[in-house]
Amino acid sequence: MRDTSAYDSAVVADRPPFEDLYREFMRRIYAYVRAQVTSSADAEDITAQVFMNAYHAYGRFEPRNTTPAAWLFRIAHNATLDHFRAHGRRERLRRTIEHEPVAEVDPAGVAEERIQYRALLAYVAKLPERQRDAISLRHSGLSFEEVGGLMSCSEDAAKMLYHRALKALRESVQEGTA
Amino acid sequence: MSDNEDLELQALQRQLDDAFETTRPRAGFEDDLWSRMQARRPLLARVQDFVAGLLAPVRRVPGAPAAAVAVVLVLAIGIGIISLRGPGGGGGSSATSRESGTAPFAGAATALGAFGRLPAPALQPVPNADTAPKTAGPSGATAGSVVGLYFGPANLVWAGQFNLQVTSAPVYRYAEPTTTTADQFATSLGASPQQGPAAQAGLGSYSGAGFVLGVTGTTPSPLREPFFYLTPDRSTLPAPGPTPTDTANAFLAAHNLVPAWPYVVATVPSADVVRVLYLRQFAVQGVGQTYMVDGVGDRHGLEVDLRGGQPLQAAGPLPVTLDTADYPIISAAQAVKSALASLPAGPASIEPTPTVRLTTVEIVYALAVAGNHSFYEPAFLFSGTFTHNGVTYVKRVLVPAVAA
Repeated sequence: MRDTSAYDSAVVADRPPFEDLYREFMRRIYAYVRAQVTSSADAEDITAQVFMNAYHAYGRFEPRNTTPAAWLFRIAHNATLDHFRAHGRRERLRRTIEHEPVAEVDPAGVAEERIQYRALLAYVAKLPERQRDAISLRHSGLSFEEVGGLMSCSEDAAKMLYHRALKALRESVQEGTA
Repeated sequence: MSDNEDLELQALQRQLDDAFETTRPRAGFEDDLWSRMQARRPLLARVQDFVAGLLAPVRRVPGAPAAAVAVVLVLAIGIGIISLRGPGGGGGSSATSRESGTAPFAGAATALGAFGRLPAPALQPVPNADTAPKTAGPSGATAGSVVGLYFGPANLVWAGQFNLQVTSAPVYRYAEPTTTTADQFATSLGASPQQGPAAQAGLGSYSGAGFVLGVTGTTPSPLREPFFYLTPDRSTLPAPGPTPTDTANAFLAAHNLVPAWPYVVATVPSADVVRVLYLRQFAVQGVGQTYMVDGVGDRHGLEVDLRGGQPLQAAGPLPVTLDTADYPIISAAQAVKSALASLPAGPASIEPTPTVRLTTVEIVYALAVAGNHSFYEPAFLFSGTFTHNGVTYVKRVLVPAVAA
């Protein structure tokens, strides 16, 4: 049977080869996901799911309607929500409150994340969902227009949300280090 | 919003940029995932994609001779079928693997900003480590009565002169070496893998005729690129040379370890050990040779320790393939502004917060660690001294030079 997924259609129209997208966005997507979840193992699972989904849907990606970044981050956003739905937000909160250590599948992976920034991302992960998303999407390299598009709000509203989130994060960090 | 609050938020934004930019999956994840995706593709699609990848540049050249296109097609189909074996060779990319063939996206780069956004280099003192300067330090700022470096909060004032004539500088990238890389390096020195517990350390432990060798990968703390540590059997060493540098040169030459990169030699005595330093340099057009610095801002390179005139150990950067790309760099004014607004690299250990006049600045190269690939990046190293309780301290501030 003829394959109708990503790669057949990647060579037509104006779509760049999927490999280019993967090369450009894999680490950014991972960082975005990592800021949402508590373990690097979860972040890897979700990132893998994002690119598997994107790979199979690439034939339907229409570059005239959206940027590759916005398209991929929407898939990542949805995959992260699916993860929370599947594993239970309540369980995640319980672990956070009880300070239960989350098992890391690959200790070597932990060493590769810069230690001094892990704490900062942990503060990001504790922000309310929309604030967390605004910061994560913005610092993953998206424009405010793209952030607004992903969060179903205007560009100006995305800017306001981001700045509110930034201030909340600063207060959270100051309280945590006081 | 007050100026202070504004600066704090800007600093937080920079930290967030760095945090997201440097958050990476474990080594190998990128390749593993790509392999899994490739494995799900049918053979026909892989051949089509490979051919399309080869044809893309031909399409962009107007008037390419038809015969040449035909030859490319024939070769492409042949090569495509042969190379459909995973991320390193398949995928239809125009990217080429370099020596090791383990990094599917590696390749010499020359275009401006070709590596994309970069992680920012930063001073990263190791908590509780001895931070007494080991070398003559940048601009000689650590000579005299200085007893240590201070990384905590300070009120910074710029009191120097800074004229910068260059607008771009090269960035160097290397792929994280594997155990295979370490094995090849050891073999080139005539060493073979050691058995036993020591074999588990780093990328590998080896023994050769009259020496043992250890190889480690990039480490974020202490900040260090892939390194080798060669320790000789001191009972079999030849007589010392006329000077420590002569002895160190002869020792390195005997083990084929003389650096291939530009360097300046410095000698630092400490108790009964003399350390001969081969301080690494990177050339910047319009500036000349610039030094590489480590996680505390000390000049850095290969070291040979001597005791009683004879080598104790040689330690230095593992030879790795460097790709390079030019990047635009920030202006002198932007660098000064960033230095003054920078966050401290370490905790407060002096009260009240000292005021430090930064008086010198130089372009240096510093390591920025980022998972599968790490970078030697240009940066501005500001420094100044202050005195607290009769003791002189050096304060250093590292500002990434690459424009965001």
